[in-house]
Amino acid sequence: MLEIKDLHVNVDGKEILKGITLSVGTGEVHAIMGPNGSGKSTLSYVLSGREGYEITKGEILYKGKDLRAMEIEERAAAGLFLAFQYPIEIPGVTTMTFLKTALNAQRKARGEEELDAVKFLRLVREKAGPLNVSEDMLKRPLNVGFSGGEKKRAEILQMALLEPSLAVLDETDSGLDIDALKVVSDGVNALRSPDRSMIVITHYQRLLNHIVPDKVHVLSAGRIVRTGGKELAHELEETGYADIVEA
Amino acid sequence: MTASIEEQYLEAFSALAPQGDPAWLLARRRMARDIFAAAGFPHRRVEAWRYTDLRRALAKEGYVPAQRYDGPLAYDVETVGPGAAAFGDVERHMLVCVNGFFRPDLSSADLPDGVSIKPLSEAVKETGFEDFLTTDDNLHPVNALNSALMQDGLVIRVEAGKDAGKPLHMVHVTTSAGASAAHMRHVIALEEDAKLCLLETHLGQGGAGYLANHVTETHLGEGAALTHIKLQDEAKDALHVAANNLRLAANAKYYGFVLALGARLSRHETDAVFKGEGAHADMHGALALRGKQLGDISTYVDHAVPGCSSNAHVKSVLDEEATGVFQGRVLVAKDAQKTDGRQLSNALLLSRDAGMNAKPELEIYADDVQCAHGSTIGELDGTALFYLRSRGIDEATARSLLIRAFLDEVLETIPLDGVKQDIGSQIDVWFRASALAGSETR
Ligand SMILES: Nc1ncnc2c1ncn2[C@@H]1O[C@H](COP(=O)(O)OP(=O)(O)O)[C@@H](O)[C@H]1O
Ligand SMILES: [Mg+2]
Repeated sequence: MLEIKDLHVNVDGKEILKGITLSVGTGEVHAIMGPNGSGKSTLSYVLSGREGYEITKGEILYKGKDLRAMEIEERAAAGLFLAFQYPIEIPGVTTMTFLKTALNAQRKARGEEELDAVKFLRLVREKAGPLNVSEDMLKRPLNVGFSGGEKKRAEILQMALLEPSLAVLDETDSGLDIDALKVVSDGVNALRSPDRSMIVITHYQRLLNHIVPDKVHVLSAGRIVRTGGKELAHELEETGYADIVEA
Repeated sequence: MTASIEEQYLEAFSALAPQGDPAWLLARRRMARDIFAAAGFPHRRVEAWRYTDLRRALAKEGYVPAQRYDGPLAYDVETVGPGAAAFGDVERHMLVCVNGFFRPDLSSADLPDGVSIKPLSEAVKETGFEDFLTTDDNLHPVNALNSALMQDGLVIRVEAGKDAGKPLHMVHVTTSAGASAAHMRHVIALEEDAKLCLLETHLGQGGAGYLANHVTETHLGEGAALTHIKLQDEAKDALHVAANNLRLAANAKYYGFVLALGARLSRHETDAVFKGEGAHADMHGALALRGKQLGDISTYVDHAVPGCSSNAHVKSVLDEEATGVFQGRVLVAKDAQKTDGRQLSNALLLSRDAGMNAKPELEIYADDVQCAHGSTIGELDGTALFYLRSRGIDEATARSLLIRAFLDEVLETIPLDGVKQDIGSQIDVWFRASALAGSETR
């Protein structure tokens, strides 16, 4: 699904990612852990194509294609999805309008029929229910005045609607209490499938109790310093990052 | 010695000897002509026009009087034509003017009970009509020019207590290809508790460098309510200069909205004076401009009496090398306690070469008032664009979503759904044209 080879990335002329190699197979769930500032969000932005992230070396293949040649919206239509660490507030655009525009834009790009208002509404309600996303939230401008938990649930709703092939979840657990964490991780687990890969970025191990990964990578200062199975997350919980990072 | 552009202009219009003007009008015209000749066209050094140099914009062309045209139009103003049939789905009465002259043959005949419509040339013959022409020619040289040269216009009156019902739709079409000028004077007079919704569209044939000058005298009696929505979509080389002089008696209500899309240079000025307590005026608008267009929405509000409220909110979307202007002043007289006066300008610049000049001012002599004014200038939020695109929304659509979201705040104030939707789709059409132009240069 995703092949990253010796990826070097500059932000504002400063090297942030310093040679990342990572391979995520179809249906696999990988966790990326690491201290603040290690480059986790940078990696997620590079994958989504955000401006200002300059690839100086290396390559990224997504479904066998060079990701760099694709526009931001092409990547999305090809099934790449990033759940933002800090979802953006968009005053004046209701969540509902946004969801419909996004879904139909992707369907159109893939040559599928666009959904009419009735079919779309039915689909949204079906997906919103389990995530506790209320009608009221759908009518409000996107993310404006949403609590931290509401923003994260709205991100997962987008993911559920858009049904990506590769989802990158950037600190989807941050700022969530136990109940909200459960709702969000149940939502994510419901989307696990043999055709869908996920990269779960997190600072803490607790999310990985709910979303159990196939592999865990530790990112530090722009490099992957360790890779292991799900037990690596527990080890980190015990020892903290300091030991591993220094190792 | 060469003649000034003002002398040349007046000379070109001297042949317009108006037939059968009453004595008061002849005297008024003479005086107005002298005022204009002394003051000249407004330019950068005239404070109220400092960003909108009309004199410079006019200097290039030798203007001649617009010619009355009685033939058929190239399109049916009611359903097709430029402006994408604005308000085509709104049930309304049509009032059509071509090249500055009212065309009853193209207009609706079945007017609602209590509503009367006359061309200016007829109305000026009625005794007492001069009382409706309260615009002070001394304050504004273009209004003086209009008083000196006005030929025709619509005089719309609604009797006390009558609700005109369906909107009246004034359509102004210019067919002349050259540098012609029309000076129209309209009067909208609502007696006590009368109600009217007036729509206006201004259209012209592509590229024509004409000048359309309108002065509208609006008199709202006690408790009267006027909704006044205007779409300015003049030809791209045209000049459009409109002044709306608004007088509100006690408890009168005015809702005004203008969308300016067309013309090389346009100005929509509202001068509101509160004459009685408890009155309210909204003077909102939007500019959507590109190329080298300049659009000016300015509002001057005189809170002469206590207990009135006014609100002017203008949103501007400026692409390429376009310039937006918002000037305005809220003046609160010493005795005008409990005044609520607001002015706000928000501009969105879509290009580095676009610019906005906003200068809202307050002049307050009373102490118990609520007044606010402000202006913001910003760009499209790059982070928001990225977020939308990361969900698969193409860049043009993402931009239009954000631009519409920006404008919707003022569009939402339009009190008629059909009209609101039409104004919205005019903006979408504008945006699509802009996006196309953008993708060609990119
Ligand atoms: N826009 C930016 N400009 C300059 N430096 C940045 C920018 N964004 C992130 N950084 C730097 O890049 C490094 C990695 O940041 P980030 O990817 O956000 O880390 P993480 O998500 O792991 O906490 C940090 O040192 C941060 O200061
Ligand atoms: Mg981060």
